[in-house]
Amino acid sequence: MNQQKTQLTAEEIKLFGDLMPEELAEITQSGLNRRHFMKLVGLASAGLLTSHLIGAEQLFARAADINIEDLPESAIENGVMVSFKVNAADKKVLVDSRSSLLDTLRERLGLTGSKKGCDHGQCGACTVILDGKRILSCLTLAASCEGKSVITIEGLAKGNELNPMQAAFLKHDGFQCGFCTPGQICSAVALMKEAKDGQVSYLTKDIRTKAAPVMLSDEEIAERMSGNICRCGAYPNIVAAIKEAQSGKDVQQNWLFAG
Amino acid sequence: MRPFKYTGANSPSDALKLLIKNPNARFLAGGTNLIDLMKEDVERPDELIDLTRLDSTSFSKISFGVNTAGVSLGATGKNTDAAHHPEIRQNFPILTKAILAGASAQIRNMATNGGNLLQRTRCSYFYDTAMACNKRSPGSGCAAMEGINRMHAIFGWSENCVAVYPSDMAVALSALDARIKVMQADGNVRSIPIHDFHRLPGDHPEKDNNLNRTELITSIEIPTNKFAAHSAYVKVRDRNSYAFALVSVAAGLVLEGNKILSAHIAMGGVAHKPWRALKAEALLKGKIASTANFTAAAQAEMTEAKPLSHNKFKVALGRNTIVSALEIALRGAESPI
Amino acid sequence: MEEKNKSIGKAVNRIDGILKITGKATYATDYPIKNMAFAVIFKSTIASGTIVNLDTTSAEQANGVLAVITHKNAPRLNEKGGIRGGALLQSPEILFYGQHIGVVVAETFEQARHAAHLIKVDYQKKEGKTDFEKLATSAGAPRGKELADLIRGDALGMLDTSAVKLEEVYETPIEHHHPMEPHSTIAVWEGDKVVLYNGSQIINGAQAAAAETLNLKPEQVRIVSPFIGGGFGSKGGQWANLILTAVAAKVVSRPVKLALTRQQMFNSVGLRQQNIQRISLGASKDGKLISLVHETTTQTAIDSEFLEPCGDCSKVMYEVPNALISYKVAPMHMMLPTYTRGPGKSTGSFALESAMDELAYKLQMDPIELRIKNEPQKDPSNGKPWSSRKTVECLREGAKAFGWANRKVVPGSNRVGDDLIGYGVACGTYPARQRDSSAVIKLTKSGENVFAIVEIAASDLGTGTNTILAQTAADGLGIPLVHVTVKLGDSDLPPAAGSVGSVGAASFANAVNDACTKITDELLARSAKQFFIRPTAYQLIVSENIKNYQTRVDAKAPKEAEQYSAHSFNANFAEVRVNALTGMVKVTRFLAVTGAGKILNPKTARSQIIGGNVWGIGMALSEESVMDPRWGNFATRSFGDYHVPANLDVGKLDAIFINEEDKIPNKMGVKGIGEVGIVGVAAAIANAIFNATGKRIRKLPITPDKLI
Repeated sequence: MNQQKTQLTAEEIKLFGDLMPEELAEITQSGLNRRHFMKLVGLASAGLLTSHLIGAEQLFARAADINIEDLPESAIENGVMVSFKVNAADKKVLVDSRSSLLDTLRERLGLTGSKKGCDHGQCGACTVILDGKRILSCLTLAASCEGKSVITIEGLAKGNELNPMQAAFLKHDGFQCGFCTPGQICSAVALMKEAKDGQVSYLTKDIRTKAAPVMLSDEEIAERMSGNICRCGAYPNIVAAIKEAQSGKDVQQNWLFAG
Repeated sequence: MRPFKYTGANSPSDALKLLIKNPNARFLAGGTNLIDLMKEDVERPDELIDLTRLDSTSFSKISFGVNTAGVSLGATGKNTDAAHHPEIRQNFPILTKAILAGASAQIRNMATNGGNLLQRTRCSYFYDTAMACNKRSPGSGCAAMEGINRMHAIFGWSENCVAVYPSDMAVALSALDARIKVMQADGNVRSIPIHDFHRLPGDHPEKDNNLNRTELITSIEIPTNKFAAHSAYVKVRDRNSYAFALVSVAAGLVLEGNKILSAHIAMGGVAHKPWRALKAEALLKGKIASTANFTAAAQAEMTEAKPLSHNKFKVALGRNTIVSALEIALRGAESPI
Repeated sequence: MEEKNKSIGKAVNRIDGILKITGKATYATDYPIKNMAFAVIFKSTIASGTIVNLDTTSAEQANGVLAVITHKNAPRLNEKGGIRGGALLQSPEILFYGQHIGVVVAETFEQARHAAHLIKVDYQKKEGKTDFEKLATSAGAPRGKELADLIRGDALGMLDTSAVKLEEVYETPIEHHHPMEPHSTIAVWEGDKVVLYNGSQIINGAQAAAAETLNLKPEQVRIVSPFIGGGFGSKGGQWANLILTAVAAKVVSRPVKLALTRQQMFNSVGLRQQNIQRISLGASKDGKLISLVHETTTQTAIDSEFLEPCGDCSKVMYEVPNALISYKVAPMHMMLPTYTRGPGKSTGSFALESAMDELAYKLQMDPIELRIKNEPQKDPSNGKPWSSRKTVECLREGAKAFGWANRKVVPGSNRVGDDLIGYGVACGTYPARQRDSSAVIKLTKSGENVFAIVEIAASDLGTGTNTILAQTAADGLGIPLVHVTVKLGDSDLPPAAGSVGSVGAASFANAVNDACTKITDELLARSAKQFFIRPTAYQLIVSENIKNYQTRVDAKAPKEAEQYSAHSFNANFAEVRVNALTGMVKVTRFLAVTGAGKILNPKTARSQIIGGNVWGIGMALSEESVMDPRWGNFATRSFGDYHVPANLDVGKLDAIFINEEDKIPNKMGVKGIGEVGIVGVAAAIANAIFNATGKRIRKLPITPDKLI
């Protein structure tokens, strides 16, 4: 697996200067490597990136691009070489025929944003966008992804700009623990396209009419997002976030003080 | 999941040849059920022949006016595409609703039309390899018979198996009198009426349907119908979405004024196959469309139900759900909630 | 600091939110560690007996397998080290169905999972105690002192002579926590020390339990848990999977990742037990309670006792001179139950608050008025004054906001098409407590800015700990929120309480607040300047031009808190729509009005409350695990069979917080909201269903079959 040198922007160089000055020379000369990435993860998990995070965001996405390691030969049975696009980057990886797309993303490509909540298609935490459609990566064999294009949570932001759906989830607190969130957001992003295409749902009153873009009601959003379980119970906030992202209008956040 | 060889097929006939060559090979389509069962060690193929690479062929297309003057759904076409096709929405809304009642958007984007017909039961004893199950392991017994059988059959079960077939789509296909077109090893094609496609468990619950091992579903053929404007799919479940049916009903009414020319009713969640409510249909034919007649017909349909220890409620629920679906169909296709 | 510049009380976004929405938050299995091996657990398929033969040959010979660890070759561990639920591979004895009996370690997850299916086990089966219905009749008194009978007056005698009597039995099923992140661990040994990446609600608790069990010193174990994919009690105590990962990593001398499967979650990490609660109420004709009897019969593991205290709400909710609250428990061959969101109070309030609704109906009283009529002036269980109690305000404000006046008094009389509409109300409570926690604050001056790092081994499982601690520090130090960095979720940090039992916010925020006070005091003492108004730490650092300064505090609950009874209280209002034909229920509206002291961040607080409400909706309508009494296994064994609420199950949810200034339980005036959000919810929904349909369902969950 090839390792590309990561080009850093001036802003990012400054960020690394702040965060890990002792490594800066190495990073600018030979690019980000796995150790830098680990350190970055360590800093992030310790919360040290909080105030710089918007700037660090893309670095993460790019750091995550660094392939982790090839597996020993004994680790792959019935190997299938798969070439596909992941977040717009070409990837070629030899996988065990049994590997799910989810495990391949997480364990081979370092993209751990997609989550394993049940591994059986019953929770939606592993939702990614495959050739423009939301699917469950846990029930998709990586071997069957030849020539396809996958978008994961790591690929939704453009540059330092969050996808509007991500921003809406943040504003509306559309999560608590955050574990189902990557799947929720991928699902919601794909839902926008489905609504634009005029897709109907089990709740749609008259489905015989001609397809036209639909502005989704709260209940329609809830039905269409029911394939993504959130055990923390952020559902109303998820619905509000999606409503805001779809309408482009502020959706009120509800809490009151009384007495 | 046991190690298996992954093979891509170039054409349906190519796929069949590969399957015949290896008795432990299975076709892979959407994978939403097969991969799930392989992870549980319930399904143990040593080769998967991927049919999804046939996507660009007619095998996956939706076409109209073929053979039946109705619609033909390609076997590897996705459930989502079938549900949202404008002409299916217009002329077969009951099918759209049934598909959309099942699973989740993600799963419908993966699942194929042919694969939907081949879904295996969701009986938890079938899924649990530590439990006796004649469907999974013929001769081992049926743990559900005397076990926790709330979700199980009330019609057509046998001492060997009380499982239900979980598809929503097939329930609508039953009400629509669809036919399943299959390709045989020699390249010949046969067409099986949906009612003969799935089986009751009898002495061979391991066989879900009458498809031979060396046959491949190529399409689902649905004839035109006269009840598009008066049809409904009602699914009753333990939560409002993303759950299998306790009972579901697909209903269509062909009306002349308020007289029923014909009724088309099928039930899900009650048997080892989509349960065509022939008794209720016969009773409604020629009658006035009224709650009283709906109730009487539904009641009659349920008289032969043989509930198990935990699912007696399905008798009353089945009756009510038929009535609910007929009422909605009468008012015109609309949301069941 | 001016009020408008204060951060506490503001609805700021979660400071760790950006990591969560971009997929960068690192949960236990998200660390890209080199040379990782993968472990998969395999489990017993009997509930009681002994393993007589365990054939691991095929598994060991399977491709990629590095080790198979069973009771035959597992290292000796300390089984009394604080790991809950046993299953540490120390003996061939089987005590419950699904007990871990071994671990396969392989190069890849696929290989480990496959090899685990190749294990062959022969058992000597014993008659298991697995039929609760039968065992309940011979259940005995619990061993735990806190569950001894509460006897006040002559409850049984006065019940007989009461003008109005009610006696009913309420049942709740086994439930599972099912956090979205299954319990998972990566173990990395560095010499004789082990780092365990593992979601833990109590960081230091996990560290202590792991160290004791592995026969190590606490400093040899580091728990790293910056993000937790939900816990709800199941990640409060620690279970065998944590230890088995460490053991596996030791055996193969490589880092090992072990994640329980969703199916394994059913019998690996505790559960909420099944309860049968008998409630008897005696009242005067005008609705004054005279007697209350609350008897709970429940179940526990065969070798260890845990009971959720279903009678707790009944102890404190109402003024009633005669009360009897008691428990019986049946030991069974089953997974050890444990704390589950709103332990005891959520299930107990279902019984009590359903019974109150039934009594109100019997008395032809408004259920709100019945509750207010029996409002206690002090804690009836111990006579202590309330630190604060706003139940009446919760009921009154809620009734107004919800439109309670529109409720149809006659059940079943509000029908729209096939839908029956109903309203219900129920109250709830949960104790407010502060637990010992330490915190370090480190200040760095950079130009005119002062940056703070807050260090505390607290945990944030989605509750918003990170954010409220940053808010607390920002205000306590006089600096902007973005200049605060919170480090938590690591046992290398100063020890802290856990995110359990609604003690998290009070314990952590008070520790951080105390640290801010202490650092300001210390800086002030160092300063030669005179101040008319107490300066902030920020002002002191800048004016004294101090480059770096840090301090540590070991915070404790105020002593005087013991003189009072401190609880959060709520009132829940539900509107349901029940399809008259199919029996399907939708909670169309729900309002929780909560008096929980100081609300540090209304945005995350609201999320906590509605999250509890969604749990209550699941409890009321869909969650149920069913044990097959023949074998003691769960027939509900996947997310497909066990129905946690989906998005469409949840209608419009609203939260109102009652303004409440109560500095008695702790200096910050924080009472806690994580648990109380679920308390009373199931009863409010069941009461609404009665109002909608006229059907009183006393056995949860209220699935369609119970309403047709």
